[in-house]
Amino acid sequence: MALTLTCPVCGKRNGYEFRYGGEDKGPRPAEEGMTPSAWCDYVHMNKCTAGVQKEWWFHRDGCGAWFTTYRDTVANLEVDAPEVTE
Amino acid sequence: MFGKMMPRMGTPKWGQKPLWGRKPRLKSHYDAVIIGGGLHGLATAYYLAKAHGLTDVAIIEKRYIGFGGAGRNTAIVRANQRTQYNVPLYKEALDLWPVLTRELDFNLMFNNCGNLNLMHSEAAMKAARMTIATAQFHGVESHLIDAKEAKALVPALNISEDITFPIHGAMFHPPGGIVRHDAVVWGLAKGCAKHGVHIHQQTEATAIHTENGKITGVTTSRGKIHTPRVLVTAGGYSAGIIYHMLGIKLPISVLTIQAMVTQPLKPILDHVVSSGAYHCYANQTLKGEIATGAHMDPWPNYTTQNTAHYIKHQAEALSDWLPCLRGVKFMRIWGGLADMTPDMAPIMDGNNLIDGFYMDCGWGYFGFKSCSAVGKYMAAFMASGNCPEMLKPFNLKRYENHALMGETAALVSYTPDN
Amino acid sequence: MNRLNQLPTLRIDPAEKRTLSYRGKSLPGVAGDTVATALFANGVRIFARSLKYHRPRGLYSLDGECANTMMDVDSIPNVRTENTLLKNGMVVKEQNVKGSAEFDWMGFIDKFDWMMPAGFYYHTMHKPAAVWPHAMKQIRKAAGLGEISPDYVMRGRFDELFLKADVTVVGGGAAGMRAALAAAEGGLRVVLLEARPHLGGCFDYRVSDNGDGTPLYQRARELAEQVAATTNIRVFTHAPLVGTYSNNLITAHQVGSDSDSFTERYIEIRSESIVVATGCIERPLLFDNNERPGVMQVGCAHRLARTYGILPGKQAVFAVGHDLGLEAAIDLFDLGLKIGCVADIREDGQNPDLLMALADRAIPVLKGWVAAKAHGKTVTKVTLTTVEGTVKRDFDCDLLVASAGLTPVTGPFIMAQAKMGYDNHTGYFLPTELPERMFPAGRLTGVGDPRAIEASGRLAGLQAAAACGVSLNGELDAAKAATAALPGPERGCKLVTAPVKGRKSFICFDEDATIKSVKQAIDKGFDVPELVKRFAGVGLGPGQGGIPGHNLPLFVAKYTASSATPKPTTLRPPLVPTFIATYAGAHHHMFKRTPLHKSQKAAGGVFRNIGVWKRARYFSDDFDCREEILNVRGNVGMLDGSTLGKFRIHGPDALKALQRVYVSDMSKVKEGRIKYSAMCNDDGCVIDDGVVVKRGENDYYFTTSTGRAGATVEWIRYHTRFDGWDFHLVNLTDAMGVINLSGPNARKVLAKVTDADLSSEAFPFSGYREITVGGSIPARAMRLGFVGELSYELHVAASYMQAVWDLLEEAGAEFGIRNFGVEAQNVLRMEKCHIILGQESEQRTNLLDVGLGFLWDRTKSACKTVGAVALRQAEKDPNRFKLVGIRMEDDDRPARDGALIVDTKVRGYVATMRKSFTTGEAVGMALVEKPLSDIGTRLEIFEDECNGVRLYARVVKMPFYDPNGERMKA
Repeated sequence: MALTLTCPVCGKRNGYEFRYGGEDKGPRPAEEGMTPSAWCDYVHMNKCTAGVQKEWWFHRDGCGAWFTTYRDTVANLEVDAPEVTE
Repeated sequence: MFGKMMPRMGTPKWGQKPLWGRKPRLKSHYDAVIIGGGLHGLATAYYLAKAHGLTDVAIIEKRYIGFGGAGRNTAIVRANQRTQYNVPLYKEALDLWPVLTRELDFNLMFNNCGNLNLMHSEAAMKAARMTIATAQFHGVESHLIDAKEAKALVPALNISEDITFPIHGAMFHPPGGIVRHDAVVWGLAKGCAKHGVHIHQQTEATAIHTENGKITGVTTSRGKIHTPRVLVTAGGYSAGIIYHMLGIKLPISVLTIQAMVTQPLKPILDHVVSSGAYHCYANQTLKGEIATGAHMDPWPNYTTQNTAHYIKHQAEALSDWLPCLRGVKFMRIWGGLADMTPDMAPIMDGNNLIDGFYMDCGWGYFGFKSCSAVGKYMAAFMASGNCPEMLKPFNLKRYENHALMGETAALVSYTPDN
Repeated sequence: MNRLNQLPTLRIDPAEKRTLSYRGKSLPGVAGDTVATALFANGVRIFARSLKYHRPRGLYSLDGECANTMMDVDSIPNVRTENTLLKNGMVVKEQNVKGSAEFDWMGFIDKFDWMMPAGFYYHTMHKPAAVWPHAMKQIRKAAGLGEISPDYVMRGRFDELFLKADVTVVGGGAAGMRAALAAAEGGLRVVLLEARPHLGGCFDYRVSDNGDGTPLYQRARELAEQVAATTNIRVFTHAPLVGTYSNNLITAHQVGSDSDSFTERYIEIRSESIVVATGCIERPLLFDNNERPGVMQVGCAHRLARTYGILPGKQAVFAVGHDLGLEAAIDLFDLGLKIGCVADIREDGQNPDLLMALADRAIPVLKGWVAAKAHGKTVTKVTLTTVEGTVKRDFDCDLLVASAGLTPVTGPFIMAQAKMGYDNHTGYFLPTELPERMFPAGRLTGVGDPRAIEASGRLAGLQAAAACGVSLNGELDAAKAATAALPGPERGCKLVTAPVKGRKSFICFDEDATIKSVKQAIDKGFDVPELVKRFAGVGLGPGQGGIPGHNLPLFVAKYTASSATPKPTTLRPPLVPTFIATYAGAHHHMFKRTPLHKSQKAAGGVFRNIGVWKRARYFSDDFDCREEILNVRGNVGMLDGSTLGKFRIHGPDALKALQRVYVSDMSKVKEGRIKYSAMCNDDGCVIDDGVVVKRGENDYYFTTSTGRAGATVEWIRYHTRFDGWDFHLVNLTDAMGVINLSGPNARKVLAKVTDADLSSEAFPFSGYREITVGGSIPARAMRLGFVGELSYELHVAASYMQAVWDLLEEAGAEFGIRNFGVEAQNVLRMEKCHIILGQESEQRTNLLDVGLGFLWDRTKSACKTVGAVALRQAEKDPNRFKLVGIRMEDDDRPARDGALIVDTKVRGYVATMRKSFTTGEAVGMALVEKPLSDIGTRLEIFEDECNGVRLYARVVKMPFYDPNGERMKA
């Protein structure tokens, strides 16, 4: 495998320049009234989709941007026109 | 000639019959269904049948037994883990290899050559000391040795100062070693079949059914099965199956892990040697190949494709600490899946969220070395419905309770939470 | 042996002599020889013995697909002598023999194969259990091929290249060269890789013509000249492809020639598009003793003569399934080889011209016949049979040229995850779906006509160019039409095995797997190729799938009477065995050095790797660092703290970002004061601590621990990624250095180099000042107390660091100032119970566990501080660890770091402990379960190698030194 990722700033680059930032779980929830299980769901739990998922990446050896992209976790390839697997 | 003078006998009788029986018919009811024909599934089925008289058991395997991590790991076994919850479990697993060899009448080729875990700094030596004390406290042999002592055991080791991570010493664990991984798969399958377990290969589980919070059955590509008990232990695929079939999310990231072998050599490496700093381990198989691996690309994947990046990394690491291998060639690299948890410890739980539903997953790259003991305890769990003491610390709730297990001292790099 | 010295196809230079040493003798060779051809020319026929049965093995394919001719060359094991060019003075030895390859004492094992059916090892040697360890020793000795010395040093220069190309063409035969030329027409950057030392492929040694009267070898040389003349084609010869990966990444290695500056080099190419023109190898013919020395493939026999000038035998029999076999027979006959007969597996479909040429030469052709058995240790006779097995005939011969047909080299596709299928017409396993931007060309597509090979190359080259965005104005259509007008893929021979039981018919040479052992594996339930492979040992040896790759799936499908079409087994990199030295390339150490590295080294610093840095850990041979420590306590010392993470954050939302990641209320950070705080992860576990100073409105400077410096930017940006806040984050870690000046005399030293008012009133503890040192050097000064003494931390631009250090050293000379290193600092801060993350904490230790709860501001929940939720939820948990101070009952026996706190279970562990030189007490910090954390609790300590003897300590108050902090506040 030789993943490439498309950074919104720097364009298509070698995947090893990036750092993975998890499945996209939406914005940080409010602190008040957070139950342990809701907290755990946001922090630790994953869907582990075998297919296309929306996920976060950071361009560590580049511009330093966090961005989301779609990747097929079975082929380990970035996907242009995503259809997220559910 | 000599050969011609020998009386010619027929092929020995073990050489002929199918090892795990003829293909069984898929029944519409089983007392227990195990999803995943890997080592944990086979071992659990074996002990369910043998120790608990639960013989009406089906193993559902999408491809063929041992296709996943069971056939892809580099077969290292050891019991020098970091916490008191893990050490006794792995110790029992280690003690079971000779027992299983006898019980299954199948040579699992346990080579207890001992493991050396190299240390490259004073801080690492201190960390090793804690792990060693933990092992010794639990009656597991493990010692801290210095670089010279390590060199005496492993003459190929480079203990000069002039490498990226100079070797300060090692954690030496004599009872560990390697076991022939395929043999364990086939031996357990043989044992399962002997006790009446049905192994269904090329059969995919497509749905798990529940009613009123109870397991009722499993749908497979070959038909529906009614059952009150389901264990999901499908290695890297477990978390996806459990979420997509039952809606239960797990704190798991599935990563591709790679390993490789060199061309076969006459004996050169008598121990399993590993280094955390180099992300690299090496041992010599009975066939003579140097098996080496350890690094993972830190993002989730279901591919078993390997990477150019990794084989190069491995060569750079070996060039440093086992420099004679520079004159040896890599022959094959392969990938497998590791289902990693945030604390590098597995999740073994069940019969609480859904009656009759059990899970045994999150093993990362420790699934092989634990399979025998886990099979024994998961079987006890499934047979009685009550979690044995040995498995209690591995419950799923620990993540929600902010009580990670501490099997890793450092933060893991495949989740954003560090 | 006399060489055929005058052939125009030769790739050797008979005039340039070489020698090699073999079995104590010096043997002649010539330039251009491989080690194997030189040995063969000297009459060597048995090169090695097989792994399991010690069967004699010889030259078979000449392309190194099996271990038959692997030898030890210059102490390097498992060298593929067929692919290794001869260099003067090479020392060559056989492997895996007791005695010699010719007379191997272990050869008798071959008679005992019946005792070792597939999976033999799994059923034996474990009863009684005591047998196994001994058996295992013998197995280990018997296994393996070559030998490497633990002291072996690989000589030579290993280089690496990372290229970008528009089009990479893999395979430098006619198709590959045409593809490269076509792709280069539009000015693209083209790379051409060829595994052999020269371009030409299957044209290189053939004298048949291409339809216009030009012999193929000549045509190949013309194309090679055109390629060489095309400046935008970069050619790598003797450079086999070893891996293909997704997104068109290719790896290869190149073997250096005498004139190259490298021995071997690793090549990694990222291409826009790829043409695969790797051609075909031959499909081994399965019959009894099909791997005897004297049995060789068509290309091997043909190339021995045409490329190396060596006639492969005297009296030959051919058993082939492809026109190339007939062509070779004719050519070799003309070169002087006697041919008893040509058995062609095919009943019909042969090229009539070739049949006529054979008839002209009175060479008998048996159609529908195949080899059944080779006789002799090296071939002396062959039994031929009809493919049905009804009739047999014997022929005397010393050479049996045997080949079932061709099999395409599709490794590049398989490794790029192409789906493969069985093609009924060609009998090849071919991609059913091509990976993106990968185009096949040449013989691997099934074409055999020389013009069709060239045309398919041109077409693929143009397709690859088009994929790079080159507009071709109808040229592509023209190339398609040209290809279509020429003969298409040829029908391949489908015979799986000769009609034999197969006890000695080897499907895999390297692991001695026979048809019989494969049948046994299938009978035992291992009924798919991937399982047979593992159980019977097929294709897992040094040659991997090269020999069995095509035949195994065909045989399994036949034997299981499977209705499904056969699927090839997986193939994995490296496609060609590659030295670890070559993969490693020019790798070198990668560590950062602080601006003071040189002077620290000169001062006797003992350096250690700490994260990405080299740091001075000690400045003495005494690893307890007594002098370093006492000098700080009683006088003044200096530490290079440059590895600390240093950051500026500024912009309108800078404060909001700090509030998100720091547990304290950062709005309370005041100018001129430092604020110590910590960052947690979402689990409330402490991941970092450091100080923050405010330098202006929404403009802060902060430090992190050494280990976290690299991750801090991504951490802060990660946790604010949904907020759209406007702030800038600058990593100053490398731009600034840090000097820690500590000890009761620190003020006096600093006062000598600055005009700033250093009095406690003007610059109190916890103060921050921007001062000038040495008259002109700006320094950010902080009054901290990590080591528990009066101390100043000076943050200075990296370029001024040495100057400031030298000034302070000079100023401190009168007080006896000296360096202290990381270990001394570790002890000094331990006496003060100041924690180091990772040392007094582990992954699961939260802020409250280590006693830093006072930093946490609970009122700022609107900031959604990272870790706050978890801290709230965990704070009442009675089962957590707590950091405590401990003192040994025996002050002369400090426990070692990492010792356990136990009762019947493990209850905690000692994080850091030393006998304090300052107080004389054995004190330290430990993480223990909460119920054990009360002051005065007696702790039982279990140390490694304690042999049952326990140590005891008590929980005591922290810190151990200067509890009121009077010294650091002085």
